[in-house]
Amino acid sequence: MSDNWLEIGDENVSVDEIKRQIRERIAGRGIVSSPGIVGDPAAIAAELWKEMIGDPADVTASDRGVPLRQQDCDIVPRHYVIDWRTPVLGPIHATVRRIINAEICRYLLPSLEKQSHFNREVLRLLEDLARENARLQRRIEALRGIQE
Amino acid sequence: MQVHQFHPTVSFGDATSNQILSLQRLLRNAGYRSVIFCEHPPLHFQGRTQLIARYGRYASPESVLLLHFSRGYSASVLDWLEQLSARRVLVYHNITPHTYFAGVNETVLEATRTGREQLDRLRTLTEAGWGDSAFNCQELAERGWTHLETLPIIFDPRRYAVSPDRKTMERWRDGINVLFVGRVSPNKRLEDLILTFHYLKRFVWPDARLLLVGSAYGMEPYLEFLQALVKRLNLPDVTFTGHVSTAQLAACYRCASTYLSMSEHEGFGVPLLESMHFGVPIIAYKAAAVPETLGGSGILVKDKDYAAVAELIALLAEDTYLRAQVTALQRKRLQVFMPNRVAGHLRELIRGLECE
Repeated sequence: MSDNWLEIGDENVSVDEIKRQIRERIAGRGIVSSPGIVGDPAAIAAELWKEMIGDPADVTASDRGVPLRQQDCDIVPRHYVIDWRTPVLGPIHATVRRIINAEICRYLLPSLEKQSHFNREVLRLLEDLARENARLQRRIEALRGIQE
Repeated sequence: MQVHQFHPTVSFGDATSNQILSLQRLLRNAGYRSVIFCEHPPLHFQGRTQLIARYGRYASPESVLLLHFSRGYSASVLDWLEQLSARRVLVYHNITPHTYFAGVNETVLEATRTGREQLDRLRTLTEAGWGDSAFNCQELAERGWTHLETLPIIFDPRRYAVSPDRKTMERWRDGINVLFVGRVSPNKRLEDLILTFHYLKRFVWPDARLLLVGSAYGMEPYLEFLQALVKRLNLPDVTFTGHVSTAQLAACYRCASTYLSMSEHEGFGVPLLESMHFGVPIIAYKAAAVPETLGGSGILVKDKDYAAVAELIALLAEDTYLRAQVTALQRKRLQVFMPNRVAGHLRELIRGLECE
């Protein structure tokens, strides 16, 4: 623990006095190890993390995941804009196209939304499988290490 | 002048969405026409949000579009932005470094990595950058942004003017409750909260409780790790509530003895303001924008010494003078984030844009 580990902005509070009290309290407890627990809790957490999540520095392991993004799953055309540039005829042309587009969308969009939803669910499942696969790979490598 | 906003989507309860809705209210009160545009307008916000394809009707050289950025935009949004004739300002809420999500959620890892990469492209598409905090502005400055301003998160107390949930109050009213509010996400370092609580429970207060309030959606492997850690440490009274309603959230704050944050990356930290509002003393690890949000209030720890932090929690609960001093300064600090204060600052920022 560093000397200036504690910061309290209030001038009416003595930080040094609080630090002294905390030191005394810790010393007064006379703790050697946690009852009922074998080992240091922080070490247990680190070990568990490695076992369940993997090495935090190993970002490349994630790169071996599914090469797709959630946004790729969405096949609904959300950015389609009908606009006009020519005067008089342009707005008429755009209105006709908008009506046709709205009619097509009316029966097509529900199917596209369903398909997008399905795509997202499939991707999520694939990611779960990739993650599980990576975890098992790590487990196998660890077991191999123990055997050797 | 019109000041519109864009974010891929808007939802209930998250900090960015709340900020967007609060800004719209302030802008409209100040007489500006203001519409929220989304790539995916949610069903429950229909009427309050519009599809981005409709922005063409509002775009003009006088209109400004505030681009809220808290995760990566889709490629089509970036293309759409490039074609827009309107003036654009980036509102940066920060993006959690992608490395935190390795092994936890590949989609989020990819989205956060892409998001940060997109900042370089957004720099060429916007004329200014506004950050929730100086910490966020600093990152933009490092990426070459020149016109930077800080626009803090608006804290609207009316959002919390609900009766606290009765069942939650009955369950946790008595005893020592250590509270943390936030998404269950690796950058929040919930394992450090559990390790601190382990010391507190074993050596100081056997009846203490740890309340971890927030959704774990998409972070299930991390939640499983935390639950396994709790089990391995044989630690009772640790509750993962998941997503809660405003009434339940208010009840959690009302029952809390201390708010403890060990988070290593926060672009702002709205639960810190909530703790200030509910009079809960804060102990937080000094990282990212946390010290700036606290602004001298609360208690900051620079080291993650679990025993020392646990003893500090105990001391704070026992020492009524210390507790009163800490909460009084927190209440004072909260005033900076009140709607009327931020409204004045927002008007200045908009005026600055009008003059350019």
